[in-house]
Amino acid sequence: MAKLTKKDAIRTWFTWFMCAQAAYNYERMQGLGFLHAMCPSLAKLYKENEEGRKAAMERHLDFFNTEPFTGASIVGLSLAMEEEISEGKDIDPDAIRSLKTGMMGPLAGIGDSVVQGVVIPLLLIFAINFAMQGVVAAPVIYMLVTLVMTVGYSYSMFMLGYKKGHDAILNMLESGVIDKVINGASMLGCMVLGALVCNYVSLNCGIVIEQANGVYFNLQESLFDAILPGMLPLLLTMGCLWLLKKGKSTVWVLVFIIVLGAAGSALGIFA
Amino acid sequence: MSVFQAILCGLIYYTGNGNILGGYGYYTAYRPLVAGFLTGCILGDPVTGTVIGGTINLMYIGAISAGGALASDMCLAGIVGTAVGITSGLAPEAAMAVAVPIGLLGTLLWFGRLTVDTIFVRGAEKMVAKGQTDKIWIMDFLLPQLMLLVVTVVPCALACYFGAQYIEGFLNMLGSTVLSALITIGGMMPALGVAITLKFIFKGDARVFFLLGFLMTAYLSLGMTAVGFFSVCIVLIYMQVTKNKEVGVNG
Repeated sequence: MAKLTKKDAIRTWFTWFMCAQAAYNYERMQGLGFLHAMCPSLAKLYKENEEGRKAAMERHLDFFNTEPFTGASIVGLSLAMEEEISEGKDIDPDAIRSLKTGMMGPLAGIGDSVVQGVVIPLLLIFAINFAMQGVVAAPVIYMLVTLVMTVGYSYSMFMLGYKKGHDAILNMLESGVIDKVINGASMLGCMVLGALVCNYVSLNCGIVIEQANGVYFNLQESLFDAILPGMLPLLLTMGCLWLLKKGKSTVWVLVFIIVLGAAGSALGIFA
Repeated sequence: MSVFQAILCGLIYYTGNGNILGGYGYYTAYRPLVAGFLTGCILGDPVTGTVIGGTINLMYIGAISAGGALASDMCLAGIVGTAVGITSGLAPEAAMAVAVPIGLLGTLLWFGRLTVDTIFVRGAEKMVAKGQTDKIWIMDFLLPQLMLLVVTVVPCALACYFGAQYIEGFLNMLGSTVLSALITIGGMMPALGVAITLKFIFKGDARVFFLLGFLMTAYLSLGMTAVGFFSVCIVLIYMQVTKNKEVGVNG
């Protein structure tokens, strides 16, 4: 009976990391990538058992879709279970199927909030801030930091599932730590975005009123800037948010901005 | 822009889309910040590339692709916007106003690809029936990536090549009024980018922090980095103070 080595486990993780979405498709989403990651280990585990190998391959081609880094834990978990089945332990193979399907949703929810919703935006904001001042190192450092973080996070999630199993993943989800991190990061994100609006959204009023001979009243400088610099960008951002929350699509709001900007610019309202 | 440079730009687009670097490509080459920098390197002006790429990326800070749905192709927007911006000498805001609509077109490719990739599932099923573990990589990696290489490099290279040649003349023809309108629109667009991010986090207790960050910049003229460090302290203090109460962003 073939035993998997650490090298086999790492190879499974690496294939998943590289190819999870290499053939992303509407029918099985990451299902094909999942099978691809499992294949070298399955070949070893079911070397003599062709029927077992076919059945195992079939169950890993199931529909599968999750956030790839956090979801690496499901790949690790499935690998550990396949190992036990091939050793002859009494595990219903269908349990793997239902575990995969049951866990991919919750892990995608958490993974997407943490990775795409919090970590990447915060990293991007700081990198963009320097990039816009022409600092070429900003995108390079961003790439390095992202590399270390994605590899480290994906690998440790895989090993969590592979070594500690189902309960460890559930404990991590239910401990409340993730909620705290998301809460704290949301506040941090809001604050940094507030600064971003003031720095990088630009909208100025171009209306100048002639009060008397040679005396001009510049609406932007004498009114808006005097009360609150960046007032119009703030209003515009809140307006966009309001429209999005009302259920308007991103494209709808984008077209709205283009029309508003073109009209305002043509009429001289915006400068 | 030479044909060779245009093809290299197409290769950035492939790297961002291809997932050959796993999720990593999606978080790096797919982002206009990185794509713009790389495009700048290809065209011999990394500094301008970084500035334009960073500006375009403002629109896509909080873009979330969940469940295979994609709102906008920021990678194509980043590459073509930067290429056109550098070759035509456009202001970053004007390049952004040109780039974002291009990004909308790019989503067609994404949906097309997810549809066509289904044929590789059929191929994989045949291999599963024969138990060929050693051949699955052909269906998961080799064939879909070759297809992707063609369908990403060709349109992106064409868009960069002809965009660089014609957009400058086209904008000159339309005159300075159109250009200043583009700059106005490009200045407004980050508001939408921020709003998309806020849609997920502008809730409950977090809301006042947005205003605080804004006011710190507006009245105290603090830079982004300063606000970032202050934010960490303020949020930590807030969490310590409210530790034992039921407080959350969802409240």
